[in-house]
Amino acid sequence: MEEAFEARDEVGSHSPAHRNSAHWPSLEQLAIVALDSGRMLMEAGASGKGVQEMVETIAYGLDAEQVDLGVGYASLTLTIQRCGVFITRMRRVGHIGVNERMAGELWKLARRVSRGNQTIEQTRLRLERLSLGGVRHAPPVVAIAMGLACAAFGRLLGLDWRGAVPVFIAATIGQYLRHELLKRKMNVFVCATIVSSLSSFLSDLGAHWIGSLTYATAMISPVLLLVPGVPAINAQTDIIDGRPSLGIARAVTVIMILVFIALGLWFGQMPLDHWHLP
Amino acid sequence: MRLAFLLHQTLCGAIAAAGFGILFNFSFTSLPWCALSGAVALAVRTCCLSQGWSVEAASLAAALTVGFGTELLRNRSEDSRSALDVVGCIPMVPGSLAAKAILSLIALTTSSMVQNSETLVAAAQYSVSTIFTIGAIGTGLVIPTVLLHLRLSRRRR
Repeated sequence: MEEAFEARDEVGSHSPAHRNSAHWPSLEQLAIVALDSGRMLMEAGASGKGVQEMVETIAYGLDAEQVDLGVGYASLTLTIQRCGVFITRMRRVGHIGVNERMAGELWKLARRVSRGNQTIEQTRLRLERLSLGGVRHAPPVVAIAMGLACAAFGRLLGLDWRGAVPVFIAATIGQYLRHELLKRKMNVFVCATIVSSLSSFLSDLGAHWIGSLTYATAMISPVLLLVPGVPAINAQTDIIDGRPSLGIARAVTVIMILVFIALGLWFGQMPLDHWHLP
Repeated sequence: MRLAFLLHQTLCGAIAAAGFGILFNFSFTSLPWCALSGAVALAVRTCCLSQGWSVEAASLAAALTVGFGTELLRNRSEDSRSALDVVGCIPMVPGSLAAKAILSLIALTTSSMVQNSETLVAAAQYSVSTIFTIGAIGTGLVIPTVLLHLRLSRRRR
Protein backbone atom coordinates (compact mmCIF):
# COMPACT_ATOMS: atom_id res chain seq x y z
CA MET A 1 0.00 0.00 0.00
CA GLU A 2 2.78 2.37 0.98
CA GLU A 3 4.58 1.55 -2.24
CA ALA A 4 1.48 2.41 -4.18
CA PHE A 5 1.24 5.80 -2.49
CA GLU A 6 4.90 6.49 -3.16
CA ALA A 7 4.51 5.54 -6.80
CA ARG A 8 1.49 7.78 -7.14
CA ASP A 9 3.26 10.69 -5.50
CA GLU A 10 6.21 10.29 -7.80
CA VAL A 11 4.16 10.26 -10.96
CA GLY A 12 1.69 12.78 -9.66
CA SER A 13 4.24 15.52 -9.03
CA HIS A 14 4.09 18.12 -11.78
CA SER A 15 7.74 17.82 -12.75
CA PRO A 16 9.00 18.60 -16.27
CA ALA A 17 9.74 14.90 -16.73
CA HIS A 18 6.16 14.11 -15.91
CA ARG A 19 4.86 16.78 -18.25
CA ASN A 20 6.66 15.01 -21.09
CA SER A 21 4.79 11.82 -20.32
CA ALA A 22 2.80 10.49 -23.26
CA HIS A 23 -0.34 10.44 -21.15
CA TRP A 24 -0.16 14.03 -19.97
CA PRO A 25 -1.89 16.04 -22.75
CA SER A 26 -4.90 13.74 -23.09
CA LEU A 27 -5.24 13.36 -19.33
CA GLU A 28 -5.18 17.13 -18.93
CA GLN A 29 -7.85 17.53 -21.60
CA LEU A 30 -9.88 14.71 -20.09
CA ALA A 31 -9.87 16.38 -16.67
CA ILE A 32 -10.86 19.76 -18.10
CA VAL A 33 -13.66 18.26 -20.22
CA ALA A 34 -15.02 16.26 -17.27
CA LEU A 35 -14.84 19.29 -14.97
CA ASP A 36 -16.53 21.53 -17.55
CA SER A 37 -19.43 19.10 -17.89
CA GLY A 38 -19.86 19.08 -14.09
CA ARG A 39 -19.57 22.85 -13.84
CA MET A 40 -22.19 23.40 -16.53
CA LEU A 41 -24.56 20.92 -14.90
CA MET A 42 -24.07 22.58 -11.51
CA GLU A 43 -24.84 25.98 -13.07
CA ALA A 44 -27.98 24.41 -14.59
CA GLY A 45 -29.27 23.66 -11.08
CA ALA A 46 -28.31 20.02 -10.47
CA SER A 47 -27.70 18.55 -7.02
CA GLY A 48 -24.22 17.50 -5.91
CA LYS A 49 -25.02 13.85 -6.58
CA GLY A 50 -26.06 14.66 -10.15
CA VAL A 51 -22.83 16.59 -10.75
CA GLN A 52 -20.78 13.69 -9.42
CA GLU A 53 -22.62 11.20 -11.66
CA MET A 54 -22.08 13.46 -14.69
CA VAL A 55 -18.34 13.94 -14.11
CA GLU A 56 -17.80 10.22 -13.44
CA THR A 57 -19.83 9.20 -16.53
CA ILE A 58 -17.82 11.54 -18.77
CA ALA A 59 -14.44 10.70 -17.22
CA TYR A 60 -14.89 6.90 -17.21
CA GLY A 61 -16.41 7.12 -20.70
CA LEU A 62 -13.21 8.80 -21.87
CA ASP A 63 -11.06 6.03 -20.35
CA ALA A 64 -10.18 7.36 -16.91
CA GLU A 65 -9.34 4.60 -14.43
CA GLN A 66 -10.06 6.44 -11.20
CA VAL A 67 -12.10 9.58 -10.57
CA ASP A 68 -12.37 11.52 -7.30
CA LEU A 69 -14.49 14.65 -7.29
CA GLY A 70 -14.97 17.32 -4.63
CA VAL A 71 -18.16 19.33 -5.13
CA GLY A 72 -18.16 22.78 -3.50
CA TYR A 73 -20.68 25.59 -3.88
CA ALA A 74 -18.29 27.79 -5.87
CA SER A 75 -15.81 25.29 -7.28
CA LEU A 76 -15.25 21.69 -8.38
CA THR A 77 -12.04 19.81 -7.72
CA LEU A 78 -11.18 16.65 -9.64
CA THR A 79 -8.39 14.12 -9.28
CA ILE A 80 -8.17 11.75 -12.19
CA GLN A 81 -5.91 8.77 -12.84
CA ARG A 82 -4.98 6.73 -15.88
CA CYS A 83 -2.08 4.31 -16.48
CA GLY A 84 -0.51 5.24 -13.14
CA VAL A 85 -0.52 8.97 -14.00
CA PHE A 86 -2.79 11.26 -12.03
CA ILE A 87 -3.56 14.96 -12.02
CA THR A 88 -5.72 17.27 -9.93
CA ARG A 89 -7.58 20.19 -11.46
CA MET A 90 -10.06 22.77 -10.16
CA ARG A 91 -12.81 24.72 -11.93
CA ARG A 92 -14.76 27.74 -10.65
CA VAL A 93 -18.56 27.45 -10.71
CA GLY A 94 -20.43 30.56 -11.87
CA HIS A 95 -23.93 31.79 -11.11
CA ILE A 96 -26.19 28.86 -10.24
CA GLY A 97 -29.57 28.99 -11.91
CA VAL A 98 -31.98 26.38 -13.25
CA ASN A 99 -31.86 25.35 -16.90
CA GLU A 100 -33.55 22.02 -17.52
CA ARG A 101 -32.90 21.94 -21.28
CA MET A 102 -29.18 22.48 -20.73
CA ALA A 103 -29.16 19.67 -18.14
CA GLY A 104 -30.97 17.41 -20.62
CA GLU A 105 -28.43 18.14 -23.37
CA LEU A 106 -25.55 17.45 -20.97
CA TRP A 107 -27.03 14.09 -19.95
CA LYS A 108 -27.53 13.18 -23.63
CA LEU A 109 -23.86 13.94 -24.23
CA ALA A 110 -22.86 11.91 -21.17
CA ARG A 111 -24.82 8.91 -22.46
CA ARG A 112 -23.06 9.15 -25.83
CA VAL A 113 -19.67 9.39 -24.13
CA SER A 114 -20.40 6.40 -21.88
CA ARG A 115 -21.24 4.30 -24.97
CA GLY A 116 -17.79 5.18 -26.33
CA ASN A 117 -19.20 7.21 -29.26
CA GLN A 118 -17.24 10.40 -28.48
CA THR A 119 -13.58 11.38 -28.37
CA ILE A 120 -12.24 13.95 -25.91
CA GLU A 121 -12.08 16.56 -28.67
CA GLN A 122 -15.63 15.91 -29.84
CA THR A 123 -16.89 16.15 -26.26
CA ARG A 124 -14.99 19.40 -25.71
CA LEU A 125 -16.42 20.93 -28.88
CA ARG A 126 -19.97 19.90 -27.93
CA LEU A 127 -19.53 21.42 -24.46
CA GLU A 128 -18.19 24.63 -26.01
CA ARG A 129 -21.23 24.83 -28.28
CA LEU A 130 -23.56 24.24 -25.33
CA SER A 131 -21.81 26.90 -23.23
CA LEU A 132 -22.67 29.52 -25.87
CA GLY A 133 -26.24 29.18 -24.61
CA GLY A 134 -28.84 26.80 -25.88
CA VAL A 135 -32.47 27.45 -26.70
CA ARG A 136 -34.31 29.56 -24.12
CA HIS A 137 -37.85 30.84 -23.91
CA ALA A 138 -38.27 34.50 -24.90
CA PRO A 139 -38.16 36.85 -21.86
CA PRO A 140 -41.72 38.20 -22.42
CA VAL A 141 -43.03 34.61 -22.52
CA VAL A 142 -41.24 33.82 -19.25
CA ALA A 143 -42.56 37.04 -17.69
CA ILE A 144 -46.18 36.25 -18.61
CA ALA A 145 -45.78 32.65 -17.43
CA MET A 146 -44.48 33.88 -14.07
CA GLY A 147 -47.36 36.36 -13.85
CA LEU A 148 -49.81 33.50 -14.28
CA ALA A 149 -47.87 31.28 -11.85
CA CYS A 150 -47.87 33.97 -9.14
CA ALA A 151 -51.59 34.65 -9.63
CA ALA A 152 -52.19 30.90 -9.22
CA PHE A 153 -49.93 30.91 -6.15
CA GLY A 154 -52.00 33.78 -4.77
CA ARG A 155 -55.23 31.84 -5.31
CA LEU A 156 -53.70 28.90 -3.42
CA LEU A 157 -52.95 31.29 -0.54
CA GLY A 158 -56.55 32.57 -0.46
CA LEU A 159 -56.35 35.60 -2.77
CA ASP A 160 -59.73 36.74 -4.14
CA TRP A 161 -60.32 36.88 -7.93
CA ARG A 162 -60.07 40.69 -8.02
CA GLY A 163 -56.68 40.56 -6.36
CA ALA A 164 -55.38 38.07 -8.95
CA VAL A 165 -55.30 40.76 -11.66
CA PRO A 166 -52.79 43.14 -9.98
CA VAL A 167 -50.73 40.14 -8.85
CA PHE A 168 -50.50 38.93 -12.46
CA ILE A 169 -49.46 42.39 -13.72
CA ALA A 170 -46.98 43.04 -10.87
CA ALA A 171 -45.35 39.61 -11.20
CA THR A 172 -45.05 39.96 -14.99
CA ILE A 173 -43.33 43.34 -14.60
CA GLY A 174 -41.20 41.98 -11.75
CA GLN A 175 -39.97 38.99 -13.75
CA TYR A 176 -39.13 41.15 -16.77
CA LEU A 177 -37.24 43.57 -14.52
CA ARG A 178 -35.37 40.66 -12.90
CA HIS A 179 -34.34 39.37 -16.33
CA GLU A 180 -33.05 42.80 -17.37
CA LEU A 181 -31.15 43.36 -14.10
CA LEU A 182 -29.52 39.91 -14.17
CA LYS A 183 -28.59 40.47 -17.84
CA ARG A 184 -26.68 43.56 -16.66
CA LYS A 185 -24.83 41.35 -14.11
CA MET A 186 -26.48 42.90 -11.07
CA ASN A 187 -25.90 41.19 -7.73
CA VAL A 188 -28.56 38.50 -7.17
CA PHE A 189 -29.42 39.68 -3.65
CA VAL A 190 -29.78 43.35 -4.58
CA CYS A 191 -31.84 42.30 -7.59
CA ALA A 192 -34.17 40.31 -5.30
CA THR A 193 -34.73 43.38 -3.11
CA ILE A 194 -35.45 45.71 -6.05
CA VAL A 195 -37.84 43.29 -7.75
CA SER A 196 -39.53 42.41 -4.47
CA SER A 197 -40.12 46.04 -3.47
CA LEU A 198 -41.46 47.08 -6.90
CA SER A 199 -43.69 44.01 -7.37
CA SER A 200 -45.17 44.15 -3.87
CA PHE A 201 -45.77 47.91 -4.13
CA LEU A 202 -47.51 47.64 -7.53
CA SER A 203 -49.57 44.66 -6.47
CA ASP A 204 -50.66 46.15 -3.14
CA LEU A 205 -51.54 49.47 -4.77
CA GLY A 206 -53.43 47.70 -7.57
CA ALA A 207 -55.32 45.51 -5.08
CA HIS A 208 -56.46 48.59 -3.14
CA TRP A 209 -57.44 50.38 -6.33
CA ILE A 210 -59.38 47.42 -7.76
CA GLY A 211 -61.19 46.83 -4.46
CA SER A 212 -59.68 43.50 -3.43
CA LEU A 213 -60.30 42.48 0.18
CA THR A 214 -57.15 40.33 0.36
CA TYR A 215 -54.54 43.03 -0.27
CA ALA A 216 -52.09 41.53 2.26
CA THR A 217 -51.96 38.30 0.22
CA ALA A 218 -51.83 40.36 -2.97
CA MET A 219 -48.71 42.09 -1.65
CA ILE A 220 -46.85 38.83 -0.95
CA SER A 221 -47.96 36.77 -3.99
CA PRO A 222 -45.92 38.47 -6.75
CA VAL A 223 -42.63 38.07 -4.86
CA LEU A 224 -43.02 34.28 -4.78
CA LEU A 225 -41.30 34.14 -8.18
CA LEU A 226 -38.10 35.09 -6.31
CA VAL A 227 -38.29 32.30 -3.70
CA PRO A 228 -35.42 29.90 -4.49
CA GLY A 229 -37.38 26.66 -4.36
CA VAL A 230 -34.95 24.45 -6.29
CA PRO A 231 -31.87 25.46 -4.22
CA ALA A 232 -33.93 24.96 -1.04
CA ILE A 233 -34.77 21.39 -2.05
CA ASN A 234 -31.25 20.76 -3.41
CA ALA A 235 -29.77 21.93 -0.09
CA GLN A 236 -31.64 19.21 1.70
CA THR A 237 -30.92 16.46 -0.83
CA ASP A 238 -27.21 17.38 -0.75
CA ILE A 239 -27.12 17.04 3.03
CA ILE A 240 -29.00 13.72 2.86
CA ASP A 241 -26.63 12.50 0.11
CA GLY A 242 -23.64 13.13 2.39
CA ARG A 243 -22.48 16.56 1.20
CA PRO A 244 -23.24 18.71 4.26
CA SER A 245 -20.92 21.59 3.36
CA LEU A 246 -22.50 22.02 -0.07
CA GLY A 247 -26.00 21.68 1.42
CA ILE A 248 -25.29 24.24 4.15
CA ALA A 249 -23.84 26.69 1.61
CA ARG A 250 -26.99 26.36 -0.47
CA ALA A 251 -29.23 26.74 2.60
CA VAL A 252 -27.42 29.90 3.73
CA THR A 253 -27.82 31.37 0.23
CA VAL A 254 -31.54 30.54 0.31
CA ILE A 255 -31.94 32.21 3.72
CA MET A 256 -30.05 35.30 2.53
CA ILE A 257 -32.27 35.61 -0.55
CA LEU A 258 -35.37 35.30 1.66
CA VAL A 259 -34.04 38.06 3.91
CA PHE A 260 -33.46 40.33 0.91
CA ILE A 261 -36.96 39.53 -0.43
CA ALA A 262 -38.46 40.41 2.95
CA LEU A 263 -36.50 43.69 2.96
CA GLY A 264 -37.95 44.44 -0.47
CA LEU A 265 -41.46 43.75 0.86
CA TRP A 266 -40.77 46.13 3.72
CA PHE A 267 -39.55 48.86 1.35
CA GLY A 268 -42.56 48.25 -0.91
CA GLN A 269 -44.92 48.71 2.02
CA MET A 270 -43.37 52.01 3.16
CA PRO A 271 -45.03 54.37 0.64
CA LEU A 272 -48.42 52.72 1.25
CA ASP A 273 -48.00 53.20 5.02
CA HIS A 274 -47.08 56.81 4.31
CA TRP A 275 -50.34 57.24 2.34
CA HIS A 276 -52.22 55.59 5.26
CA LEU A 277 -53.46 52.67 3.18
CA PRO A 278 -54.15 49.64 5.43
CA MET B 1 -64.52 18.50 0.86
CA ARG B 2 -66.14 20.17 -2.12
CA LEU B 3 -65.14 18.88 -5.54
CA ALA B 4 -65.04 22.44 -6.92
CA PHE B 5 -62.43 23.41 -4.30
CA LEU B 6 -60.30 20.36 -5.09
CA LEU B 7 -60.47 21.15 -8.81
CA HIS B 8 -59.56 24.78 -8.13
CA GLN B 9 -56.50 23.83 -6.07
CA THR B 10 -55.45 21.23 -8.66
CA LEU B 11 -55.77 23.71 -11.52
CA CYS B 12 -53.83 26.41 -9.64
CA GLY B 13 -51.10 23.88 -8.82
CA ALA B 14 -50.88 22.92 -12.48
CA ILE B 15 -50.64 26.56 -13.65
CA ALA B 16 -48.00 27.41 -11.03
CA ALA B 17 -45.88 24.35 -11.89
CA ALA B 18 -46.14 24.97 -15.64
CA GLY B 19 -45.20 28.64 -15.12
CA PHE B 20 -42.11 27.63 -13.18
CA GLY B 21 -41.43 25.00 -15.84
CA ILE B 22 -41.07 27.83 -18.37
CA LEU B 23 -38.81 29.76 -15.98
CA PHE B 24 -36.65 26.64 -15.58
CA ASN B 25 -36.46 26.33 -19.37
CA PHE B 26 -38.39 23.08 -19.79
CA SER B 27 -39.29 22.52 -23.45
CA PHE B 28 -42.89 23.18 -24.49
CA THR B 29 -43.38 19.43 -24.99
CA SER B 30 -42.43 18.80 -21.32
CA LEU B 31 -44.77 21.49 -19.94
CA PRO B 32 -47.86 19.22 -19.75
CA TRP B 33 -45.80 16.88 -17.54
CA CYS B 34 -44.82 19.82 -15.32
CA ALA B 35 -48.49 20.82 -15.06
CA LEU B 36 -49.51 17.23 -14.26
CA SER B 37 -46.81 16.99 -11.59
CA GLY B 38 -48.03 20.21 -9.90
CA ALA B 39 -51.67 19.16 -10.23
CA VAL B 40 -51.05 15.79 -8.55
CA ALA B 41 -49.04 17.42 -5.75
CA LEU B 42 -51.76 19.96 -4.95
CA ALA B 43 -54.58 17.40 -5.28
CA VAL B 44 -52.92 15.04 -2.80
CA ARG B 45 -52.07 17.86 -0.40
CA THR B 46 -55.61 19.28 -0.52
CA CYS B 47 -57.13 15.83 0.13
CA CYS B 48 -54.80 15.28 3.09
CA LEU B 49 -55.51 18.74 4.53
CA SER B 50 -59.25 18.11 4.26
CA GLN B 51 -58.74 14.96 6.37
CA GLY B 52 -57.32 17.13 9.14
CA TRP B 53 -53.62 16.50 8.46
CA SER B 54 -51.11 19.25 9.21
CA VAL B 55 -49.56 21.21 6.31
CA GLU B 56 -46.22 19.48 6.90
CA ALA B 57 -47.67 15.95 6.82
CA ALA B 58 -49.82 16.77 3.79
CA SER B 59 -46.77 18.21 1.97
CA LEU B 60 -44.78 15.07 2.76
CA ALA B 61 -47.55 12.83 1.36
CA ALA B 62 -47.82 14.98 -1.78
CA ALA B 63 -44.03 15.04 -2.32
CA LEU B 64 -43.85 11.25 -1.85
CA THR B 65 -46.62 10.73 -4.43
CA VAL B 66 -44.97 13.03 -6.97
CA GLY B 67 -41.55 11.53 -6.22
CA PHE B 68 -42.67 7.93 -6.76
CA GLY B 69 -44.70 8.87 -9.85
CA THR B 70 -41.81 10.73 -11.44
CA GLU B 71 -39.36 7.97 -10.56
CA LEU B 72 -41.56 5.35 -12.27
CA LEU B 73 -41.84 7.61 -15.34
CA ARG B 74 -38.06 8.01 -15.39
CA ASN B 75 -37.54 4.23 -15.34
CA ARG B 76 -39.77 3.95 -18.41
CA SER B 77 -38.37 6.87 -20.35
CA GLU B 78 -34.71 6.26 -19.40
CA ASP B 79 -34.49 10.00 -18.68
CA SER B 80 -33.23 9.45 -15.17
CA ARG B 81 -32.35 12.98 -14.10
CA SER B 82 -35.23 15.27 -15.06
CA ALA B 83 -36.27 17.81 -12.40
CA LEU B 84 -39.97 17.12 -13.00
CA ASP B 85 -40.59 16.16 -9.37
CA VAL B 86 -38.98 19.35 -8.07
CA VAL B 87 -41.11 21.52 -10.40
CA GLY B 88 -44.25 19.73 -9.22
CA CYS B 89 -43.42 20.51 -5.60
CA ILE B 90 -42.56 24.18 -6.20
CA PRO B 91 -46.19 25.32 -5.61
CA MET B 92 -45.96 23.78 -2.13
CA VAL B 93 -42.76 25.63 -1.12
CA PRO B 94 -43.93 27.93 1.68
CA GLY B 95 -42.50 31.16 0.30
CA SER B 96 -45.21 33.35 1.80
CA LEU B 97 -44.71 31.77 5.25
CA ALA B 98 -40.97 32.40 5.03
CA ALA B 99 -41.54 36.04 4.05
CA LYS B 100 -44.05 36.46 6.90
CA ALA B 101 -41.55 34.94 9.34
CA ILE B 102 -38.85 37.43 8.34
CA LEU B 103 -41.31 40.35 8.33
CA SER B 104 -42.42 39.35 11.85
CA LEU B 105 -38.77 39.35 12.96
CA ILE B 106 -38.33 42.81 11.43
CA ALA B 107 -41.52 43.95 13.19
CA LEU B 108 -40.00 42.83 16.51
CA THR B 109 -37.54 45.70 16.28
CA THR B 110 -40.29 48.29 15.92
CA SER B 111 -43.18 46.92 18.02
CA SER B 112 -43.95 47.98 21.57
CA MET B 113 -43.23 45.74 24.58
CA VAL B 114 -46.90 44.67 24.80
CA GLN B 115 -46.95 43.46 21.18
CA ASN B 116 -43.51 41.87 21.39
CA SER B 117 -44.59 38.47 22.74
CA GLU B 118 -47.34 38.06 20.13
CA THR B 119 -45.01 39.05 17.32
CA LEU B 120 -42.31 36.71 18.60
CA VAL B 121 -44.72 33.77 18.80
CA ALA B 122 -45.98 34.52 15.28
CA ALA B 123 -42.40 34.72 13.95
CA ALA B 124 -41.49 31.43 15.64
CA GLN B 125 -44.60 29.69 14.32
CA TYR B 126 -44.01 30.87 10.75
CA SER B 127 -40.30 29.94 10.90
CA VAL B 128 -40.87 26.44 12.31
CA SER B 129 -43.67 25.76 9.85
CA THR B 130 -41.49 26.92 6.94
CA ILE B 131 -38.54 24.74 8.00
CA PHE B 132 -40.69 21.65 8.58
CA THR B 133 -42.62 22.07 5.32
CA ILE B 134 -39.45 22.45 3.24
CA GLY B 135 -37.99 19.51 5.16
CA ALA B 136 -41.07 17.42 4.41
CA ILE B 137 -40.95 18.26 0.70
CA GLY B 138 -37.22 17.49 0.45
CA THR B 139 -37.60 14.22 2.33
CA GLY B 140 -40.58 13.23 0.24
CA LEU B 141 -38.58 13.76 -2.94
CA VAL B 142 -35.45 11.97 -1.73
CA ILE B 143 -37.10 8.80 -0.34
CA PRO B 144 -38.43 7.48 -3.72
CA THR B 145 -35.08 8.13 -5.40
CA VAL B 146 -33.15 6.31 -2.68
CA LEU B 147 -35.57 3.35 -2.45
CA LEU B 148 -36.00 2.80 -6.19
CA HIS B 149 -32.29 3.25 -6.97
CA LEU B 150 -31.50 0.73 -4.22
CA ARG B 151 -33.92 -1.75 -5.84
CA LEU B 152 -32.41 -1.17 -9.28
CA SER B 153 -28.84 -1.62 -8.06
CA ARG B 154 -29.86 -4.89 -6.30
CA ARG B 155 -31.39 -6.15 -9.57
CA ARG B 156 -28.19 -5.32 -11.47
CA ARG B 157 -26.12 -7.33 -8.99
